[in-house]
Amino acid sequence: MSATEALAGLDLADVDRVLAGDLAAFEGIVRRWQGPLINMAWRYCRDRGRAEEMAQEAFLRAWRGLAHWRRKSSFSTWLFALASNVFRSELKRFPTETLPLDAAPEPSRPAAQHSDLATRMSHEAVRRAVLALPLRYREPVILFYFHETDVAAAARTMGLPEGTLKARLSRARTLLRQRFPHLEVEHTGMELPALKSGKEA
Amino acid sequence: MNRISNDSEEMELSRIDHILASEEPLIPSSGFLASVMERVHEEATAPPPIPFPWKRTVPGMVLAAGVFGWGAFELVRYGLPAVGSIALTPPHLSAAVARPLEQVGWVALALGASLLSWLLSRRLAGRGGLL
Repeated sequence: MSATEALAGLDLADVDRVLAGDLAAFEGIVRRWQGPLINMAWRYCRDRGRAEEMAQEAFLRAWRGLAHWRRKSSFSTWLFALASNVFRSELKRFPTETLPLDAAPEPSRPAAQHSDLATRMSHEAVRRAVLALPLRYREPVILFYFHETDVAAAARTMGLPEGTLKARLSRARTLLRQRFPHLEVEHTGMELPALKSGKEA
Repeated sequence: MNRISNDSEEMELSRIDHILASEEPLIPSSGFLASVMERVHEEATAPPPIPFPWKRTVPGMVLAAGVFGWGAFELVRYGLPAVGSIALTPPHLSAAVARPLEQVGWVALALGASLLSWLLSRRLAGRGGLL
């Protein structure tokens, strides 16, 4: 049995226990998924406190809607889709303060003595620039990288066809590349996880 | 820049992709699990919402529907014959008054069309996430 299947089995058992009235079983679900949900929320707002609040709200909605999970998809797929809806509506109610994409600071080439700090800051500038993208392009970017470049998982979370997600992703990357042209020519030795498609989250 | 094959489709991976893909994960704060479970317990122990008082409301709704229905019936019964007897004679206005009034009508129509167009474009832009 793979780790994913084992995890799915644990989720299923806990959901059944919660639906049978054992409230404590929900703790297992929160324990397993708190990390992913907080990290997903963080990518939506880049504010740690708010990310935890939004993740908490997502868990509450999951608890209320547990009986509505139809078990056609995995529990994680359902939970991520629900969470993305919660995060989207929370951010519509209280948007994050972002600069327009054109005003996002261009990362400078780090000086040798402060290279680590400067690199971190320049990376953060790029990540924050994602929040300045129009919503229809922002969310595919957030979910694509959250799901470790798994197009199928990101599409399932958004409830979109893979082709639509790829098209929006492509447009978003073009916008980011136009904003940060010098990053195109830099070379790093970093490894990027291979693009995955059709894998269950 | 790398190129990675994906289902016979090649996607270019730039430095931006590397940056966005390599984010350090956040560790949930120590009290997160407890606070979620506290809220779940609060919701679970909260008294169930008061059900809508259908038994009290239904007679009132039936009565209101009856009154409106009766009103509509009476309106049709007495109103329709009266409509036929109304002679619609346009008020006689001099040309000096009639012409500006006609122009005002056209201006109002143009303003209305502009407003509708503006509302429609805002709606479309909002749906597309551009606003």
